[in-house]
Amino acid sequence: MGVPQDSLADPPKSSKNQRFRNGKQVHHMDIDKELLAAPIKSAKDKFALIPEFLKVRGLVKQHLDSFNYFVNTGIKKIVRANDRIVSGVDPSIWLRFNNIYIDKPSLTTDGVTTEIAPHTCRLSDMTYSAPIRVDVEYVEGSHDQKRIVTRKAVEIARMPIMLRSCCCTLYGKTESELAILGECPLDPGGYFIIKGNEKVLLIQEQLSKNRIIIDMDKKGNVNASVTSSSETIKSKTVIQMEKQKIYLDLNQFSKKIPIMVVMKAMGMTSDQEVVQMVGRDPRYGALLMPSIEECAKEGIYTKEQALLYLESKVKRSMFDRPSSDNDCKVTAVLRDIFIANVPVCRSNFRPKCIYVAVMLRRIMDAILNKDAMDDKDYVGNKRLELSGQSISLLFEDLFKTMISEVRKTVDNILTKPSRSSRFDLAQYIRKDSISHGLERTLSTGNFDLKRFRMHRTGMTQVLARLSFIGSLGQMTRTKPQFEKSRKVSGPRALQPSQWGMLCPCDTPEGEACGLVKNLALMAHVTTDEEEGPLISLCKCLGVEDLETLSAEELHSPNSFLVLFNGDILGKHRKPQRFATAMRKLRRAGKIGEFVSVFVNEKQHCVYIASDGGRVCRPLVIADRGISRVKEYHMQELNAGVRTFNDFLSDGLIEYLDVNEQNNALIALYEDEATTETTHIEIEPFTILGVIAGLIPYPHHNQSPRNTYQCAMGKQAMGNIAYNQLRRIDLLYLLVYPQRPLLTTKTIELVGFDKLGAGQNATVAVMSYSGYDIEDAIVMNKASLDRGFGRCILMKKFVVANQNYNNNTQDRIIRPSKDEVDSGKMQVLDDDGIAAPGEIIRSNDIYVKKQVPIVTRGAIRSGLKDSEYRSAFQKYKGPDGESCVVDKVALFSDTHNNLCVKVLIRHTRRPEVGDKFSSRHGQKGVCGTIVQQEDFPFSERGICPDLIMNPHGFPSRMTVGKMIELLGGKAGVSCGKFHYGSAFGEPSGHADKVEAISETLVRMGFSYDGKDFLCSGITGCPLQAYIFMGPIYYQKLKHMVLDKMHARGSGPRVSLTRQPTEGKARNGGLRVGEMERDCLIAYGASMLLYERLMISSDPFEVQVCRVCGLLGYYNHKMKAGICSSCKNGDNISTMKLPYACKLLIQELQSMNIVPRLKLAEA
Amino acid sequence: MDPQQPAEPVYYICGDCGMEIPLKPNDVIQCRECGYRILYKKRTRRIVQYEAR
Repeated sequence: MGVPQDSLADPPKSSKNQRFRNGKQVHHMDIDKELLAAPIKSAKDKFALIPEFLKVRGLVKQHLDSFNYFVNTGIKKIVRANDRIVSGVDPSIWLRFNNIYIDKPSLTTDGVTTEIAPHTCRLSDMTYSAPIRVDVEYVEGSHDQKRIVTRKAVEIARMPIMLRSCCCTLYGKTESELAILGECPLDPGGYFIIKGNEKVLLIQEQLSKNRIIIDMDKKGNVNASVTSSSETIKSKTVIQMEKQKIYLDLNQFSKKIPIMVVMKAMGMTSDQEVVQMVGRDPRYGALLMPSIEECAKEGIYTKEQALLYLESKVKRSMFDRPSSDNDCKVTAVLRDIFIANVPVCRSNFRPKCIYVAVMLRRIMDAILNKDAMDDKDYVGNKRLELSGQSISLLFEDLFKTMISEVRKTVDNILTKPSRSSRFDLAQYIRKDSISHGLERTLSTGNFDLKRFRMHRTGMTQVLARLSFIGSLGQMTRTKPQFEKSRKVSGPRALQPSQWGMLCPCDTPEGEACGLVKNLALMAHVTTDEEEGPLISLCKCLGVEDLETLSAEELHSPNSFLVLFNGDILGKHRKPQRFATAMRKLRRAGKIGEFVSVFVNEKQHCVYIASDGGRVCRPLVIADRGISRVKEYHMQELNAGVRTFNDFLSDGLIEYLDVNEQNNALIALYEDEATTETTHIEIEPFTILGVIAGLIPYPHHNQSPRNTYQCAMGKQAMGNIAYNQLRRIDLLYLLVYPQRPLLTTKTIELVGFDKLGAGQNATVAVMSYSGYDIEDAIVMNKASLDRGFGRCILMKKFVVANQNYNNNTQDRIIRPSKDEVDSGKMQVLDDDGIAAPGEIIRSNDIYVKKQVPIVTRGAIRSGLKDSEYRSAFQKYKGPDGESCVVDKVALFSDTHNNLCVKVLIRHTRRPEVGDKFSSRHGQKGVCGTIVQQEDFPFSERGICPDLIMNPHGFPSRMTVGKMIELLGGKAGVSCGKFHYGSAFGEPSGHADKVEAISETLVRMGFSYDGKDFLCSGITGCPLQAYIFMGPIYYQKLKHMVLDKMHARGSGPRVSLTRQPTEGKARNGGLRVGEMERDCLIAYGASMLLYERLMISSDPFEVQVCRVCGLLGYYNHKMKAGICSSCKNGDNISTMKLPYACKLLIQELQSMNIVPRLKLAEA
Repeated sequence: MDPQQPAEPVYYICGDCGMEIPLKPNDVIQCRECGYRILYKKRTRRIVQYEAR
C-alpha cells in the first residue's frame, strides 16, 4: 500500500526537538560518541518507520508474497517434480515440461488476445486469470518415425491471479495508471476475482509441521507427536507413554508398538546405545527400563526378530498385492511413513533412531518436569498457511490429475490396433480440467484434494465490500483449521505470545470467539526459503554431523542439538556463539531476513527455521540497551534517502519470529531499556490490528468494548473505494463521509482518513425526552436535513438472456403503450430495459424479458410472439419508497449470452430505528427525531446533532469515548486534528487529557468539556453543565427499512401448511416455544388456540372413535369413513393443526400407530 | 414485437472510450471503436423530477 508520507502530520513537539537536535548534530558532527551517549532519545521519532514498513511489506503483503512465491518458484518446483508424461504402453513416447510460467492476465476471443483489467472482470462476471504456459518437449510421430519436437508457450490452463501480485496488471502501477484502469489506489489487493466475485483465501492457522509437540492426552498420557509433511507423503507419528511403557502409535500398524521394538527394527539392537542416546541421567534410564523389559519379554533381541514382530502388526490394505516382499513392507513403512520428515539415505536408519531418541528424551523431560510440556496454543508452535500455499497444493493435485489423465488417454490410443499415423502428444493436454478445478475450488471454497487427504470447506470468502476497513480487515483474518472443540477454552484464550503478531482485540463474538484472529499491524508471515545454502552454512559454522558422533556424545553437556526446520542437523559445542554468528549473518543480509535462530536452553537445542507460515515482526536492535537506530537514521528516512530495507540491510532492524523473541529482551521504549535489553519495540500501538487501530484511546476502554467495536467497524457505512461509483454491486455508501476529528496513527496508515466510514457528530451527553432509554439516541432533525447519516443503498440486479438447446433464446422486447401492464413499464426504454435516471417504484418492470415456452427438443427458429411467455423482471423494493435506476450495463457472459446488470439506487435519510455506533462499542438505535428548535443549545449557539443518554457510560466504562469527545472538541476549536493512538501518550501519538484541557481552556471552553446549555423547549438554562463535543459516529448497515415486516395472511409452506418464515418470503411471526410457555403459564388458552391453530394451519379430520385412526370424507356419500374399520359408523369430525395430522401420518409410515382417543370437551 | 414502429436502434455508451454505439436486438455487445465489451445505457431522455428530502 502506498501511503503518502505527507499525511503524517508531526506531533507538535517533535519539530522543536528536531530543530534543537539538528543544531546539536551540526556542532558535534565529529564527536558522534557524545550523541550516542545522549541519555534519552525521543522515542516518537521511530514512528516514521511504520509507514515505511507498510510501504515495503504492506498490510496484505503476506498474501502477495505467498502468491508471488508460488507463481515464481512454487509452480516451477511442482512441475519439475512431475515433469514427465511417459506412456505406460510404449515408454519411448513421452512428453517433458521444460519450463512453466504464468503470463499476463489476458483474454483471447476470436483469436485476438487482449490484456484484461480486474475491473472489467468484476463488471462482466469474468474470472481474472492469466494463461499458464509451458515449454514442452515431446516425441511425435508413429511407430518407426519418431522425432522430438519442442514447443514453447503452450497454454495448459488459466490461473486466477491475485490482484496486485507480480502477475497482475496492476503491479507497480502509479495512482493515475490505476485510475485509468478503474482501480482504487487504496485497494490493497490480495484477493481473486472469480466469475465477477471478489474472493479472499483466508489465512489458515495450523499446528507446525515436522516439529515434535509434547502434550498430554485425555487419559493423562504424555504424547510426543510429529506431523510429518514431506514432498511425497504426509503422516502423523505419535510416541506415547502409557502405563510406564513407551509405545509407537502409527496408523500403519494395527496396534501400538513398543518403541524398543521399533528401535531394534531400525537396527538399534543394543539397549545400552538407546539409553545412551536418550541420555546418561539415571532418571531417564529408570523411565526407559519398563519399555526395555517389555521388549525383552517379547523375546525380541535382533533386528530380524523385530521386523518379524512388526510384520504381524502391519495393517494390510485390501489393494495390497499379497506378493513376496512382506518384510519389505515393514521396512517401507519405517522408511517412508514413520517420521517421514527424516530422510533415510541408503537404508541408513541412524538419523531416524536419533530423532526417536530425541522424542523419547522430550517425553521423559515432560514427565520429570511438567513445564517441558508444549503448549499447542503457543503462537510459535503454529503456522499460518497463506493463499499461495493453498493454491500450490490445489495446483499440484490438479496438475497430477491432468498428467495421469493424459497418460491414460495416450495409453488408450496406443493400445488401439489401428490408429492414424499422426500422433501429436501435446494435443492431449487438456487445459480445461486445471482451469475449471482452480476456478471451482476458489469460488466454492471447498478444497477436496484426495491426493493430500485434504478436505476443507469455507476456505474462501466473498470479500465484504461494506466498508473499506472491513475488506481490509478480512485480508488479515486467520481461521483455524482444526474443528472447533467447544469445551476447551485454551485455543480461544488470549495467548501472551500473540503480542505484536495477532490483534488482541479483533475477534468475533460468539461461536468463533478467539478462534478467528486477525494479524497485527506489523506482523508478517514468512514464505518458504531455500534450505540447502542454510544447511551448508550451519555446517560451516561448526555444526557437527550426527554421523560422526556416537550415541554417548549426543547429549554431552554444554553441547546443543541443532535443529533445522525440525530436522536434526547435528550438534554444536558452542551454541551461543553459533546463534550469534547466525544472527550476525542475518543482520548483514547474508542469509534471509526471516530466518529465525532460537536457542532453547531448557531443551539444549538450537532451532533454526526458514520455513513458511511463521509470524514475525520487525524490532529495533539494541546493543546493551542502546538503540542502533539513531537520530540521523531517522532524518535520513524523513529525507527519503533511506528506506525500510536499508534499515534491515544495515542491521538496525530485524524480524523476530515468536520463538526467537524468547531469546530477546524487548524494551517497550528506549528509556526503559537496561543493559540486558537486546531489542526495542518500534511502536506499541502496532500490537493492534487494522480494525482495532481505528479506535481512539483503546487503552482507556474496557477490553470487550474494543472487541465489540472491531465487530461493528466492519458494518459501518462509508466510502468503499475511489472506484465505488463505477462498481455494480450491492453497496452501502454514506453520502457525506468525514474523516474522524480524533484520529490515530493507524487511521492514517491504512487510509481510513481518505475513505472514512462515519461522521463527526456533536454529541450532548444528557437525558432528553425518554426516547433515549436503552442506548437509544435522540437526533436533531436539522442535522438530518443537512445530511447527517444519509446513505445510499445500491442494489444490483442481473438479467441473463439464455440460449437454449433447441436454438431458441430469451428475448428482451420493447414495451408497447396498449399493454395491460403498461403502467408498470414506465421506466423502460425502447430496448425494453430500464433507462438510467428513471424513478422506479416497487413492482415496476425493469427488464421486459420473454422466455420461449418450448426450450427443449427439436431445433426451432423464427418463433412467433405467442410462443413466448413473459418473464418480466419486477423490481421488489420497499413499498412507498422511490428508487432511481442508477446504471445499466450490458455485456456478454462466458457462455456468450447477453447479460444486463441494473443498478438501482436508493437514498435514505436516518429514521427512527436505524442503528448508529460510536467507535467504542456503544451502539444504539435512533429513538426519536426532534426539531432543532426543541434541542438544547449553548451560549455560543452550538446545538448538538444527537443526544446520548449518560447511562451508557457507567457500566460500559468507555473512558476512551469521553476522551475522544474532549479531544474532538479541542480539535474543532483550535483547528487541528488530535491523536488518540493506542498506548500513545508516552511517545506523543496520543494527546493527554491535560493538554487537551489546556487547549479547551485556551479556546474558552471549560477544562472538563462541559458546556452551559439552555433547554430548547423552555429556554431556561439546564440545571447541570452538559458534557458536549464531537464524537465520530458510524451508521451501521442495519436499517429498519430493510427489517420492518408485518403480515396479516399470506403464503404458506406446502408441506405443513403453516405460514412461511422470513421477511423475504413474506412470512409470519412465530409464537415460539418460550412465548407458548408464557401463555400456558398465564392461562391464555384461547389465545394459544387461536395462534397455534386457527391462524396457523387448521385442518378438519375424520377420526374413528373405535380404532382412533384418521379416516376420510367421502363426498359421494357425504359421510366420513374409517378406512381401517371399513365403515362410517363411529366417525367424528374435528379440527387439528395440519402439522399434527402430518405427524400422525409420518409416524404411521414408519410403523408407529398413534391413535386418537376422543372425549367430549 | 411492436408492429407499428420498426425496431429503432438504441444508443449505448462504451465503458472504455465513451463512444455512442447503436445496437439492435441480437447485436454483439462490443464497442465498434475500441472493442470493449461492456456497454452502458444512456440516461433517460425523459424529464425526471426527483424529490429531495
